[in-house]
Order: sequence, then structure tokens, then C-alpha cells
Amino acid sequence: MSRTDGSTAEIESLYRQHGPALLLFALAITRERARAQDVVHQVFLNLIEKAGLSRAVDKKAYLFGCVRNAALNEGKLRGRTTPFDRDLVSAWFSPPDRDYMGEQNLRRALDALPDDQREVIVLHIWGELTFSQIGELLSISSNTAASRYRYALGKLRDSMFAKENSCANS
Amino acid sequence: MPTPDDERFEAYLKQFRPLVPEPLPTSGSGHRAWRRLVLWAGAAAAVAILVGTVALHIHTERVRVVDTTRYLAAPDQLMEGQPLTVRSVNALMAKAPSFKALVDDMAFRSQTIPLPKGKRSAVAVLGKEKIKL
Repeated sequence: MSRTDGSTAEIESLYRQHGPALLLFALAITRERARAQDVVHQVFLNLIEKAGLSRAVDKKAYLFGCVRNAALNEGKLRGRTTPFDRDLVSAWFSPPDRDYMGEQNLRRALDALPDDQREVIVLHIWGELTFSQIGELLSISSNTAASRYRYALGKLRDSMFAKENSCANS
Repeated sequence: MPTPDDERFEAYLKQFRPLVPEPLPTSGSGHRAWRRLVLWAGAAAAVAILVGTVALHIHTERVRVVDTTRYLAAPDQLMEGQPLTVRSVNALMAKAPSFKALVDDMAFRSQTIPLPKGKRSAVAVLGKEKIKL
């Protein structure tokens, strides 16, 4: 191993700090809890072994990029052997005030979004990346990232409130 | 431009916190240090076992040699002045700890065969003669 203890400590600190958002981002791509967890672990273990963070300027955006690449690669590899399987049972969030119904609504609304919009929503709201960072990460302009976000937010709101209204009416 | 509705909805969404991932499988330098310590301890134990085995082997060999020398003193007394016979050899073999010890005993035993009166051994005669080369 060519890593130093200092870099390992930094990577572990980044894991604690951004792990939840990275896991959610991996979930948004893989839509399966176990796979998302594996992807995040794989990224951080690679970084620890290769001390790969030393060259990254924007470490947070770099981590999201690593997770995205790993998740997409894993999806490609798995797609060849097993059919895509959505896991809509496991929770993605810790809901406020034990609002488990709200959590389920949010999860289903996110799942219903197109892949590119779901990524932008997760990166901006829970990853707290700017549109410029998102644009660089997804190889699109920051304006495109912002417009995708607005579309996605509108769809998400409609989807969640429509669900809540339908639940309230029934 | 984000509307106030958007901002409120964003704030609502942010209330849902992403789940914390499981700890890294090999997380913590302490874990690595522990693994390294276990490896070192294993190596040290292996070396200790090796050294112990070698020491025990050497000690056993030494005991065997000591037993042989202890044994060598007795047959000298038993067989002094007696010719070597099959019976005496059988008796020696029965008592000897090993064949090597028996052969050693035969080889290094002092030969004190008594000579008739007035006769000397060839070695004694040659030893007294002054031979010029």
C-alpha cells in the first residue's frame, strides 16, 4: 500500500462527512441498497489503498464522480448477468417526525424521475453541490443542470402532493 | 429563478436525511495496526516454536551421548582380560543403548592381555630400541 496514515484519516473523515449523501446518490443510480452500499465502500477502499485523493482539487465533487462511475460500471457488469431489479422496500431516508409515509412517497417520486433529473436533484439537494459542480460532474453546462433541476423539482412536488392528496381523499 | 414555493419545497425535502452508510470494512488505522500486530505475534510464535524444537533436539542428542559414555565405563571392567566371544558381544548388545555405542566401546577399549613371564610384547621391544632412520 502506498498510502500514508494522514491521507487515510482524511479519507475516513470524508466518508463520515459525505457518506450519507454519497450512499443516496449511489442509490439514485443503482436503486438497490446493497449495491449502493457496495459501490460506496468500493470507492473509499480504492481511495485508501491508492491514496487517490491527493490530486483532487474539489474533493467532494471528485467523490461524487467516483461513486457515479463505480455505480454505472457496476450496473453495466451486472446488467450482463442478471436482470435489473429495483429495491423499493429499503428506506432511502431517515424521515422527520417518523413520517414514514412521506419517506415512501419521496422515494417513489424520486424513482419515477428520469435518471438524469434524479441525479441532479440528489446532487443539489442532499449532496449540496452547486450547478457548476454538477455540470462538471455530469459533463453538461451549469445552465442545463439548473434547468434539469427545476423540471425535476416540479415533477417531484407534483408527484408527492398528488400522492398525498390521493391518500387523503381515499 | 427559484420561487418561494420551490424554496419551501427544498427545505421540506432537506428534512429527509439520507441514511448513514455502514462503516468501512477495514475502517480505522487501529484495525490495520491490530492486524499487523497479530501478524507479528504469529511470526514471533512460529520462530519461538522453531527455536524450541531445535533446542529440544540438541538436548536429546546430548543426553544420548552422555548415556553412551556412561555406559562405556562398565564393559571395560566386565571384559578386562577376557577374550571377545559371541556371548559377551550378545550380552553387550543387550545392554548397549545403540549399536554405535557398542562399536565405540569395542574400538576404544584398552587391550590389557597378560603376557607369559619373561616375554615382552613387540610394541614394548620396539619402544625401547633406538632406531636410526
